[in-house]
Amino acid sequence: MNDHDLEKKLKAVPVPARAEDYWESFPRLVSARLRTSPAGRPVLEHRWLPRLAWGGGIAFACLMIGFAVGHWRGRTEKNDAYALLQNGKMLQEVLTLFPNRVRAITQDEHGVQLVLADQADVPVSTPIYVHICNGKQCSSLVTFSGQELEIAGQKVTVLLNAEGGVIVAGPRFAWSSDQPARVSGGLKIEARRLSSINL
Amino acid sequence: MSYLVKESCMGDTDEEKIWVLQSRNGDPSAFESLVRQHQRMVHSLTFRMTGSLADAEDLAQETFVRAYRQLDSYQGKAKFSTWLYRIAVNACLNWRQRESRREQIHAHWAESNDALRPEPETPAGEDAPAREVQAALMKLPAKQRAAIVLTVYDGHNHAEAAKILGCSETTVSWRIFAARRKLKRLLSGKGGRNE
Repeated sequence: MNDHDLEKKLKAVPVPARAEDYWESFPRLVSARLRTSPAGRPVLEHRWLPRLAWGGGIAFACLMIGFAVGHWRGRTEKNDAYALLQNGKMLQEVLTLFPNRVRAITQDEHGVQLVLADQADVPVSTPIYVHICNGKQCSSLVTFSGQELEIAGQKVTVLLNAEGGVIVAGPRFAWSSDQPARVSGGLKIEARRLSSINL
Repeated sequence: MSYLVKESCMGDTDEEKIWVLQSRNGDPSAFESLVRQHQRMVHSLTFRMTGSLADAEDLAQETFVRAYRQLDSYQGKAKFSTWLYRIAVNACLNWRQRESRREQIHAHWAESNDALRPEPETPAGEDAPAREVQAALMKLPAKQRAAIVLTVYDGHNHAEAAKILGCSETTVSWRIFAARRKLKRLLSGKGGRNE
């Protein structure tokens, strides 16, 4: 088969046709999705305004996180992480500041970190609390289903299953809240949905 | 020639520039006009990239939502359609990463249960050659598939495809070369199964 034959064969395959009604309604579907999506507001006309808002937002988030870290210092590491990361008010405020961009809020021996996505494409869903210990290295975080993160030296994907259980999967292991004892490689995992936090 | 090329050529009309400006100012009907103008092109791309009508629709919506949110970053230097293509291709590549992760997890949990893995949809009814071509496309790495879709189906030259894909022209040429080699092997029935 030469390039010409290949191109002919590829081009002979049409995209399945859709009804005209579909094309008529599609723009309205997009508009509806923009209206219902939290970040779907019109772009601001003044270019300095978004920058000011971002600057202010980041400064406020840093202050808040600093305050939160200071406030909880002195308690045990796990309890610190648990209480801070499950602070619904803080979580809501951070999510409001960075709509659809917060991939995770993590806490380990280096402190609290905010993991943001480059694009505003993180869907709003029930937050999930995860605590992982790999030997003496422990990390806690709050994240959302479908996020891939590096915690406690492990690259993991956190997912919610249809029954509301949590699945934490890494390159060489998979842990489920339905079978919490099944962990390999000396890992200790604890994870649950934070269903008490209304976003 | 297909509607794709016609739509691409209309990329720089005054009318379209006005729609972009009005959309930036929050006029939903202007943005709907932009969607109407480019919806078939975007759907075609997302279908070729996913092999699924449902995923193609979802990704087309995601493309336009992202475009709306990023409208102020569109400076009018490139055609609007080129800019939109770039967003659509990125959405498809991200989708591919998400799908791969999901498939890995399914595979881990389902182990040998192949029934859980969804088959790509038939492009045109029960047409076997069409199914074979779409299956072969789906076996390509996503970036090679994107290069083939842009150049073969949408009629872009290598330079335009490089702009859309955000890489060099040489990289595009290499991806097309590698993709063609693999497609020829798959579509001539030599070693398709284990690719």
